[in-house]
Amino acid sequence: MSAGGEPKAIGGAIVPNKIIAFGILGGLIGIYAAHFLDSMISPVFSFMGALGAICAIVWGADAVRRVCSYGLGTGVPSIGMLALGMGVVASMFGLAVGGIYGPILAFVSAAIIGLIIGVLANKVLGMNIPIMEQSMVEIAGAGALTIVGLSTTMAGTFMFDEVLTYVVAPGYIAVIFIAGGMAILHPFNACLGPDEHQDRTLTLAFEKGGIAMVIAGLVSAVAGSAAMLPTIMIGVFIWYTSFAKFYELTKRDSYKILGSGLLPTEEELQ
Amino acid sequence: MEPLIGMGVLALMGAAATIAGASEDLESDVGSQSNPNSQVQLAPQMMYPHRIYNKAISGEPPSNALMCAIGGTTASVLMTAYSMSPLFAIAMGALFAAIVHGSYSISAFLGRPASQKRFKQPVYLDILRSHTPVIMGYSYITTFCILVVSYLMVAVLGHPFPLPLLAFIWGITVGAIGSSTGDVHYGAEREFQNVEFGAGLNAANSGNIVRRAESGLRNGIDNSWFCAKFGGPVTGIAFGMTVFLSGWVTTVFNPAISPIMGWLSVVAGVILVLIMIIWNRKIEVAARAAFGPYKEDEVAA
Amino acid sequence: MIDVVAILMANYLYVLAITLGGMLISLSVHFVPVGGAPAAMAQATGIGTGTVQLAAGAGLTGLVTAGAVMAVSDSLPLILAAGAVGAMIMMSVTMLVGAWVYTYGVGVPPASAKVKYDPITKDRQDLYVSQGTEGHGLPTVSFVSGVIGGLLGGIGGSLVYYSLMMNTTTSLTTSNLVGLASIFAVGIFFVNAVIPSYNIGGTIEGFHDPKFKKWPKAVFSSFIATFLSALIGVLAIGGL
Repeated sequence: MSAGGEPKAIGGAIVPNKIIAFGILGGLIGIYAAHFLDSMISPVFSFMGALGAICAIVWGADAVRRVCSYGLGTGVPSIGMLALGMGVVASMFGLAVGGIYGPILAFVSAAIIGLIIGVLANKVLGMNIPIMEQSMVEIAGAGALTIVGLSTTMAGTFMFDEVLTYVVAPGYIAVIFIAGGMAILHPFNACLGPDEHQDRTLTLAFEKGGIAMVIAGLVSAVAGSAAMLPTIMIGVFIWYTSFAKFYELTKRDSYKILGSGLLPTEEELQ
Repeated sequence: MEPLIGMGVLALMGAAATIAGASEDLESDVGSQSNPNSQVQLAPQMMYPHRIYNKAISGEPPSNALMCAIGGTTASVLMTAYSMSPLFAIAMGALFAAIVHGSYSISAFLGRPASQKRFKQPVYLDILRSHTPVIMGYSYITTFCILVVSYLMVAVLGHPFPLPLLAFIWGITVGAIGSSTGDVHYGAEREFQNVEFGAGLNAANSGNIVRRAESGLRNGIDNSWFCAKFGGPVTGIAFGMTVFLSGWVTTVFNPAISPIMGWLSVVAGVILVLIMIIWNRKIEVAARAAFGPYKEDEVAA
Repeated sequence: MIDVVAILMANYLYVLAITLGGMLISLSVHFVPVGGAPAAMAQATGIGTGTVQLAAGAGLTGLVTAGAVMAVSDSLPLILAAGAVGAMIMMSVTMLVGAWVYTYGVGVPPASAKVKYDPITKDRQDLYVSQGTEGHGLPTVSFVSGVIGGLLGGIGGSLVYYSLMMNTTTSLTTSNLVGLASIFAVGIFFVNAVIPSYNIGGTIEGFHDPKFKKWPKAVFSSFIATFLSALIGVLAIGGL
């Protein structure tokens, strides 16, 4: 699946490794494509960064889904905030010192911080969640790629001078922080329950990624308006198609969808 | 800056923050968000299906931070890239934030009941249609007021943080305050009006939320009607007090004048905190005297 | 590429200060009386919300105050005190209004289920716990504990922000530096708010709670995590 591609129909359970590959490769390809196509062909192509971010968001949402099926002792949202907290520190560092290797350095340093926090959580805090280390690496990595991807779309490049001027100094990094974090944590939180299905949750991740893309498109107007319209339109398209798909899956999964009506009767509940 | 102008701006910020706090709490009551929603979530499992919105976006702080940060970002983009007037930019920002918030609300309302298929909780579309615009309306008010507070801090009081970041931080704070104060009125009282007043929720009653209203079946709008009498306004007072008092100490004793003034502002803040500790103690003593113990002391009896 | 050694040599004190700030934030979360979801139903003592978010709300309010003071003053004690006051005010107001709701809206007296007598006021607690609950509201000991939590969290957050801003090798303009330092501070704050909340399992009544004794574990974890974040944060800012 190419970074810019639309989600294929997700059937049944997808194994984690596929989604991990989708997230890392899609994320990095999107970010680099945005950077190079932007400077070589046209600034219009900076929307690719947001597509990369969507790949990372879907991956992050799947990682949250796996780790939160264990009891964390506190809500799902905290892990999303942790992911973006680690991600923002790592990605600013990566972009600041990495130059052209910035996104990769951001990703690797996020993964290292994630690994250390995962080890600390299990060994020192005694959480004893078997997949904690791996999940923390994944969540931090996905958070970092989301931040770098959205920043690339907003600034048109991931070179840190531009990112600093167009994303960090005006404070738009705050909206990346929370819109990316919510896109990662919300899908599983919104679909929490015994009858949760992976395809429905991940469709929702695409939808929330679409919203983040629209926001990134809006901000890209500050750096130059060429990329704004294509980014917003693709974002709205992704939002709409995945929302329609999500509603379809809700109809498939829910007990009943009623226009209105009374509560189920006693006999029905038996 | 003239101290009087500073005080006037601060008063305006306090007023806007009070409205933001009240609308934040009512927004979370209409949609049933945050901690009290755990009972709405639990009810179908305990064989109590219901017609209450299930707005499990996340805790209130992240969801409010999201809408405020989106509003602040949109307003800032409109002001820098299109040179719009601040008021119009803030209104547009709040509108966009409300739309995004509506989308998040809908996905939570569809997602949670669909994941409870085995407990036979239906998805009621009329609830979706009637409640989502109300939620969006409240979220518009909250975002607008927070943006006014943040904009005044940046533009008039000269705060160094950029507008979207300040809006983000105040969003986290209003959510934290709303879920700590007003939500208790919804969770501990409104959801459990079927048990005797004056007690916490007995664990045995978990999930047994009130599902029938004065007429018909209870929904989230009924809940906000109740919470607007007490929970919403006190949340507004709490957030307004936080914004006002934390700005008041540095406006009256401005650290820009001299370090001594800065330390006086610290002393003033500490005195305010001590007053609140004593006030809480007074409430505690009065409540213990008024309500009395729940059980006799076994040794004395 | 940047000269890693020179930047760290010039800024090692700030790396240590950021780490200390992170550890203070981590410790502060243990003081904040948070009852999680049960407290919102008056089913557990403490504030009815999540640990992370309440600590973040208080600490970030402190950060706003500290940022305002730092724009006009360069005295470290004053900046830390301003951050602490901002966070303490937010925390006390929240707890006080929470007490109004518990007392006047729900009709329960504040009571702790973890101790028989309030360590500060010596009031009997267990008789005032309503049936089937783990306490409710904010007895004086929890309130004072929450104020201490606000104090430490405010100092910690301001210390992180101050140390990032004072980087000696950076050539960033002020507005860029403020943007970068503030988002770093927010990120480090969230990491250090989540770690202790995993340590205490989401709920705690205050410093009298038996769970409070677990604090060294979280502070140690925060020490390592923040030290790493501080290193790369200082390198990123110092290298520009």
